[in-house]
Amino acid sequence: MIDNGLLVQMLLGALLGLSVYLPLAAGQLSLATPAFYAVGGTLAALLSTRWSALGATASGGFPVPSLLLELVLGGLLAGLLALLVGRLVLRLQGIYLAIATIALVEIVRVAILNLPFTGGAVGIFAIPQPFATAAGYLLPALALLALAGWVCQRLEGMPLGRAMAAIRDDELAARCMGIDTTGAKLTAFVLSAVLAGSTGALAAHFLNTWNARQGSFDASITTLAFVILGGSRTWLGPVVGGLLLTALPELLRPVGDVRLVLFGLVILLGPVLAPQGLITPGLLERLGRWGEGGKP
Amino acid sequence: MIEALLQTLLNGAASGGVYALVALGYTLVFSVLGVINFAQGALFSVGGYLTFLLMGGKIGVNGALPGWGLPEGLPFWLALLLAAAGSGLIGLLVERLAFAPLRRRNAEPLLALITSLGAGVVLVNLLQLLMGAEGYAFPQSTDALAGLPDVLVLGGARIRTIQLLLLLISAAAVLVLSLWLDRSKGGRALRAVAEDATTAQLLGIHSEAMVRLAFFLSGGLAGLGGGLIGVSVSLPGPYFGIGYGLKGLAVLVLGGLGSVPGAIAGGLLMGLAEALVPSSASGWRDALAFAILFGVLLLRPSGLLGRRTVEKV
Repeated sequence: MIDNGLLVQMLLGALLGLSVYLPLAAGQLSLATPAFYAVGGTLAALLSTRWSALGATASGGFPVPSLLLELVLGGLLAGLLALLVGRLVLRLQGIYLAIATIALVEIVRVAILNLPFTGGAVGIFAIPQPFATAAGYLLPALALLALAGWVCQRLEGMPLGRAMAAIRDDELAARCMGIDTTGAKLTAFVLSAVLAGSTGALAAHFLNTWNARQGSFDASITTLAFVILGGSRTWLGPVVGGLLLTALPELLRPVGDVRLVLFGLVILLGPVLAPQGLITPGLLERLGRWGEGGKP
Repeated sequence: MIEALLQTLLNGAASGGVYALVALGYTLVFSVLGVINFAQGALFSVGGYLTFLLMGGKIGVNGALPGWGLPEGLPFWLALLLAAAGSGLIGLLVERLAFAPLRRRNAEPLLALITSLGAGVVLVNLLQLLMGAEGYAFPQSTDALAGLPDVLVLGGARIRTIQLLLLLISAAAVLVLSLWLDRSKGGRALRAVAEDATTAQLLGIHSEAMVRLAFFLSGGLAGLGGGLIGVSVSLPGPYFGIGYGLKGLAVLVLGGLGSVPGAIAGGLLMGLAEALVPSSASGWRDALAFAILFGVLLLRPSGLLGRRTVEKV
């Protein structure tokens, strides 16, 4: 039921979940992840189809080092955009920030749809493949996820991560304590964008075609749902949420047309049944104790 | 030249009126609960399809019941009104399923974004199951709608009657709602709950009933908008309301969250600005609303007519 292609999609979902989680860990509800994902993917699609120095062959092959370069460039471009936009939008709070980031997603979507070199509604197709099968993408996706998870884990012990947690609990109090709240929020926003940009670059190759539909309002909410259903208190939550929710529509395929209704029901009922999400710090603690031999 | 300009302005004002309807729907819910109801776009679609069915439209071949429809279509006015009421009832259902359980638990308001969007996904996909993904066209002639001529000549300029109708109906709806909010006892009670639910409750206002009323009216406004757009353009598919829902969100912020005059002014402004985009750049039209929104948020985060709030320690 779960083939390699779906596994790769699930890993990409987990990466996007982490991208939404990072600003949220600093208390900022940003829905901009699909915009950065779209930017990274579009850059990779353009570079690999237009720039022959990257080594795309006529048979559609593509060198792996070039793919890695694209991941870096996609992340950098998205990060740069986040740096510019973040300075402006992070002055906004709560629902205003959420709506401003939705606006960013829509602006990027319409731009990709209308710019002369991004292929319009059809998009960019025949993006060269570095791997012959979907299984090849498992390794880079896993590596990217491991790296992102490691960064999130490290953050918890670092001054930046602690500042983010303090802002999440009470931004005003954090500022009064002398924490550079603007800097911490901006860093979280940029990290989120870099992750989404790199994920987009990988996804563009994996999906083989890339168009404006990749980064839409729907994607904003789906990726937010990864975090809310998975749990937003630890970085494992969005990873689990991303893996499960990406797999769900595919696993529901046998029920036919009703599957999207069921998917909607999961999003509708999930927060009601588990307001903290599936993975909570309390759950991890209990698991940890259980792992040590069930000692109380 | 004048004729073209007049038609453009009228088109802009007509779609602006619909944006104002959607934004007012958001405003009602936002002012009583402080949350955005993301199912608003789906309720817009529901209103469009309900109007179509009530006017005697038949379900297409890809629907669940191909060829099914009312034996006799209702007149346009009645269908529109009933469709708005139907969308209002579904809005109530959305409140029961997506908002009430969270409110009872005092959960984070952020969660309501997700649950309401989940409700929207369910609604849109149920519509798709029932009606199929194909587009539906209403009888385009205004003659069939209300016995009016298709084209009116106004000051030497010919304009489409349906656009004028659109503008008049949304203006009437907005006016009635504003007057009701301002003057009537029920409207005052709703505003009292919006100001402070606990105090309102102490004063003997049934807050929960007011919340339900807000959802009913909000769903009704969305449904009315959907019906109007359906009649004047077409129903391109169950997802068509989502785009209007998003535009309404932009209008909402443009006017200031929770401000009724702001939602009306924002809607008109947005509609006119879009209508003035030259057709050579029409692909960018959808981004205009959000570009304006972006600018307003940065210059004036509380919106054009919103109130500035100061955080207290």
